[in-house]
Amino acid sequence: MRKAAGRWALLAAFAAASVLLAVGAGSVPIPPGKLVAALLGAGEENTRALVVGLRLPRVALAFLTGAALAVGGIVMQSVLENPLASPFGLGVSAGAGLGATVVLVTGLSAGALGAVLLPAAGFAGAVVTTLLVLALTRALDRRMSAVTVVLIGMVASLFFSAVMDLMAAMSPEYAQRIGLWQMGSFASRGWRGPAVLAPVLAVCLAVFLSRAGQLDLLTFGDEQARSMGAEPRRNRRFLILTVVVLTGAAVAFSGIIGFVDLIAPHVARRLFGASHRRALPAGALLGGSFMVLCDLAARTLCAPREIPIGAVTALLGAPFFLWIFFAGRERR
Amino acid sequence: MLEVKNLSCGYGGENVVKGVTFTLPENGRLAVLGPNGCGKTTLLRGMTGFLPAAGSVALDGAELLKMTPRERGRAVAELPQAGSAWFAYTVLETVLMGRYAHLKPGLFSAPSREDRAIAEKAIRRLGLWEERDRPLTRLSGGQLQRVLLARAFAQTPRIILLDEPTNHLDLKYQVELVRELKTWSAQPGHAALGVFHDLDLALDFATLVLLMDGGRAVYFGSAEDLPPDALSRVFGLDVPAYMRQSRARWEKIGG
Repeated sequence: MRKAAGRWALLAAFAAASVLLAVGAGSVPIPPGKLVAALLGAGEENTRALVVGLRLPRVALAFLTGAALAVGGIVMQSVLENPLASPFGLGVSAGAGLGATVVLVTGLSAGALGAVLLPAAGFAGAVVTTLLVLALTRALDRRMSAVTVVLIGMVASLFFSAVMDLMAAMSPEYAQRIGLWQMGSFASRGWRGPAVLAPVLAVCLAVFLSRAGQLDLLTFGDEQARSMGAEPRRNRRFLILTVVVLTGAAVAFSGIIGFVDLIAPHVARRLFGASHRRALPAGALLGGSFMVLCDLAARTLCAPREIPIGAVTALLGAPFFLWIFFAGRERR
Repeated sequence: MLEVKNLSCGYGGENVVKGVTFTLPENGRLAVLGPNGCGKTTLLRGMTGFLPAAGSVALDGAELLKMTPRERGRAVAELPQAGSAWFAYTVLETVLMGRYAHLKPGLFSAPSREDRAIAEKAIRRLGLWEERDRPLTRLSGGQLQRVLLARAFAQTPRIILLDEPTNHLDLKYQVELVRELKTWSAQPGHAALGVFHDLDLALDFATLVLLMDGGRAVYFGSAEDLPPDALSRVFGLDVPAYMRQSRARWEKIGG
């Protein structure tokens, strides 16, 4: 067990290091000594303002978003008994995108109201789409089997993406903003995002951890889970809805960022085992750190221009995912 | 010990199993036989309430269909058809999941030291101790099925239900699995019931036979008195003649 403790220490150190690195690096690099001083509330006024007012909220939002997406991915994969499932596959991303697009093309996103309305619409879009997917699944397959959920989610995602593209095409003046929102960004959002996302993540993570044993059983499918004393149908609906709230909240503040919900769960399970008691916290830390590092790359690689964060995660994520999925797999 | 009375169940309001009645005594081993689509697996799903069912399934007088999932999980375990694993739980973790129905109910519940001891005993019993830290995704089909049997044992149920548990497995694993189940069923308070496709294996396993056709029981009684003509009628094939041919083939090989 000492080996396991070592792994957790390494993971915690990695997470802390990526946060410190991301806060320190940028157009105005902050040396470690000044950085620690600023974080502790000491040092120069300017540095403190930069760290606490600009860099830290951005890094915090990135970390929380990555953690939320990773946790959502883990639970979705278990609940749908499919290691390739993800909240995005269920229509969460397309729904959020559609919600945000509606706000953008109607011009409601301007001004102070828009700052609240845009994330709210993204969140509402995610939740409504997923509810639709679940209702349709239930109508077509009363047993709500995982295969049907995945299939309907895929169809709904494609359909809502098409509606979103149509709206963008019909309002060319907003097309660029819609496109940017779809690629995601953590730029200058202040502390509002982290302040909302942190409690949502904490509650959802607690909900999932408190049901870690059930989640373990659900990965074996309805019949086996039930034969061991779980109630898969009721649990699945509740767990999916919790995932949607979590990922909807994450997407609402930063837009659609893919691949983290696939990579982080797989790495977490590979390093810490499939058991949810370990995979969930490990996935949260890994997803958070990965997102922070991707955001660091997004804002520094082509500085002063920013690369959309969704492009960075996909560029790094796609090949990495192939590798993690096929490496260590027995050939059959 | 287990009394099934007039059980009917099916899919979408249409009954596939139509009023089946039988009893399973302590230490009994019942094989459910019948052609494809006769309702064997549906019967199992109805008995556990996985499908909505009418009738009664009583275990020592307690109605199985009215139990909570946890109560039922402590009374009945199931060994599913052989399949593959998607998530890399270790053998020990998987067998420990058999203790779920025994955990203190509520959130954050975790296996106790006693649960762990029971799971470890089941693992040793099936000769899996050396494999206990291996992930399921790296086991062969036969090994995986042994792990799932260990999980069923760790559930410490009164009855184990089997749904063609040995399909697609090598002969060696089929025979071993049946042997383990026989030993388990002989212990006080235990009984087993299984759906089988392979008649030979079924008769090796069973003390009792329930022969089904079109959702109804056409024979229920001891395995030894199974009427050959009923078997032939149900399967649409002269079963005894086929078995004789099979035996003749083996004698030619020199077995």
